[in-house]
Amino acid sequence: MSQGRTGKINYRCPECLFREVDYDLLYEKELDQYYCRRCNWEGNEFEILRLYSVYKRKYKDMLKRYTVEDIMAKDE
Amino acid sequence: MDKFILNLIHRPELIPEYIDTDAQSGKSEELSKKEVVTESLDIFRLQQQIAHDNGLKTTIQMTYASLFNEECCELARQYNKEYGDEIGHTFLGVNCKEFREKHKSKELAMWLFPMDMKIKIVEDSFERFKDVFGFYPTSTGSYFMDAELINHIKEKYPMVEIAVATCFEEGPKVFRHANYSWYTLMDGSPWTAWVPSKKNSHAIAENDEDDSGIVAVPHLSRDLLALMDNSGDMFGTHPQNIIRGLIYEGDRLPYMYNLVDQYQVMKKFNKGFSYNLVYVGPGWMGKAGRWECEYRVLKKSYEDFLAYYGLLKQEGKIEDMGMTEFAKWFRKNQPRSGPICGLWKDIVFGTKNQAFWYADSQFRVQIDLKQGGAITDLRPYASKLTRPCGAGTAANQDASYPFIVQSRYRAGAFTHYAGEGAIKSCKVRYKGEEIDLSSCRSTGQYSEAQGCRILTVKPVEIEFNDLSIKLQTTYTFKENTGEIIISRKIVDSTSPQTKIEVDEFLTSCWGTTEYPEDMTGCLLAVVGKDGSRNELSYDYRCREFGAENINHVEAIIPQVQTKVSLTPENDNCGGYYEEGYSFAPNLKIGITKSIELNQELITCLKVEQAK
Repeated sequence: MSQGRTGKINYRCPECLFREVDYDLLYEKELDQYYCRRCNWEGNEFEILRLYSVYKRKYKDMLKRYTVEDIMAKDE
Repeated sequence: MDKFILNLIHRPELIPEYIDTDAQSGKSEELSKKEVVTESLDIFRLQQQIAHDNGLKTTIQMTYASLFNEECCELARQYNKEYGDEIGHTFLGVNCKEFREKHKSKELAMWLFPMDMKIKIVEDSFERFKDVFGFYPTSTGSYFMDAELINHIKEKYPMVEIAVATCFEEGPKVFRHANYSWYTLMDGSPWTAWVPSKKNSHAIAENDEDDSGIVAVPHLSRDLLALMDNSGDMFGTHPQNIIRGLIYEGDRLPYMYNLVDQYQVMKKFNKGFSYNLVYVGPGWMGKAGRWECEYRVLKKSYEDFLAYYGLLKQEGKIEDMGMTEFAKWFRKNQPRSGPICGLWKDIVFGTKNQAFWYADSQFRVQIDLKQGGAITDLRPYASKLTRPCGAGTAANQDASYPFIVQSRYRAGAFTHYAGEGAIKSCKVRYKGEEIDLSSCRSTGQYSEAQGCRILTVKPVEIEFNDLSIKLQTTYTFKENTGEIIISRKIVDSTSPQTKIEVDEFLTSCWGTTEYPEDMTGCLLAVVGKDGSRNELSYDYRCREFGAENINHVEAIIPQVQTKVSLTPENDNCGGYYEEGYSFAPNLKIGITKSIELNQELITCLKVEQAK
């Protein structure tokens, strides 16, 4: 097993992301697998992206545009 | 007034921080690699072009390294000549061969050097700037500048008028977010431009004597609600913040515009004035991408962001200024001691949550409307703490201004087993039932009166077994007095003559982080109308005292030179203190009174410097 390297894309550990810690994953080429040196997460790119989309669920209005008028109109 | 001002700052950093990190960990062979410098300058050129294409002027903050790069200096001169961009100075980006040879240090944070080195670096850097450009800079900055550094600069280089003096609310949450390795521990400043005190740069200056002589601005304008419980470095006027927070899909970042628009709304709470600061270096916009984001999206995000500011400028909704130009405007048009206010509404989580922020020369107060309008963060600027930071100081890396209430670092309304967390709230009691207003979600309305800023909390319904009431809270901030008048009024009741006990309380501690500090020696007192005084010195022994017909209750926290008191305006009120113990290391003071429909308990919360 060779040393872990940064992958083509510098993904952060999704599990660490959930507890608000940014920690870069390492990539193990032989297994086509990413792993975290901090916690016990490992997985492939698909799993990373799936968990990122779960993470984003907290931003329910992530794609909503709030203009000045919208913000003024919010309950006061 | 109708003024929304933008300071757009570009930092031509030649060795961006992330590459420097790689170099120090042995991944990069040569710090001053030609291709790194070339790419950094290319990014700087591109960022400048994007600004100018959108009709925006910039402030170019020259780093130490960039002052040794003739190409970069010449670019700055050209931009100044052609577009009127201000050539300013920054203490960020000191790391380069020249700096290491001269100052023999790998330290990169100006605020963390020992004071003797800070003095040398100021002189070295400012004189180098003068040699290069023929004049001294009038704007400077860092992620943080303590009062001692600002005072030194102002004394030695009085032409300096403005500085980026903090990263707003980058404290323990950001430290943690960056895997406990990003030493911007600097919670506690205002969120927008302010005149810093000579004694502590977080605090707003009180008067001529206290005026540091500069205008301070925060590094980025941030989401005042999101950062209360999240790391602020994901919620600011910098596309990289938003990308880091994964608050985007594909190349769509509507939250970026929402933030700007909410800052436009801030005019409503500040007599027509609001401010945005955008401050970017090259490090995040490299061809290799940043975080998980590809270069194309990074570039597009910045193009879109500045295009929006450009559009607002065309529509006459924003004015772009150089930093020094803004400092002059601010001095002329804004009160030195504030207040500054913001009623911030959720624009990303999809809730109706709101937060109210207030700051003047006496304190910074955060009110969480979803907690019934409880005060969840309170920084006592009145005490104007002398608290230098950096090597050789007691604070060292911990540059935050201490709190006396912080409900997220210190439990607030919810504890797991015993005691009560730090919060300023109110409890109502009836026939053995007790409800904390922090469990009653609400929203707020802002208004003004002569010398006062007012937050009126929408009445909340409180249901007991055989009684239901509606209670309304009003906060009246008496500008620059350290006083908040708090009213709790029963505006509806199913049994109008029935009295309910209202307990107006403050649970307090002090600190800058999540961890408890020593409370030994704090003083608690109940003072009667007749002047009688019952007091104790805090020693974790769980002692309590209460009395009827009191004049006021008070607590002195000598560790932060702060006195806080609650004084009822009503007659015949009870008052108490509770000492706390090691598993519940807070102090508590409170005022009690029984009231019925259309009656109110009015209390003055006062924060002052403890002599």
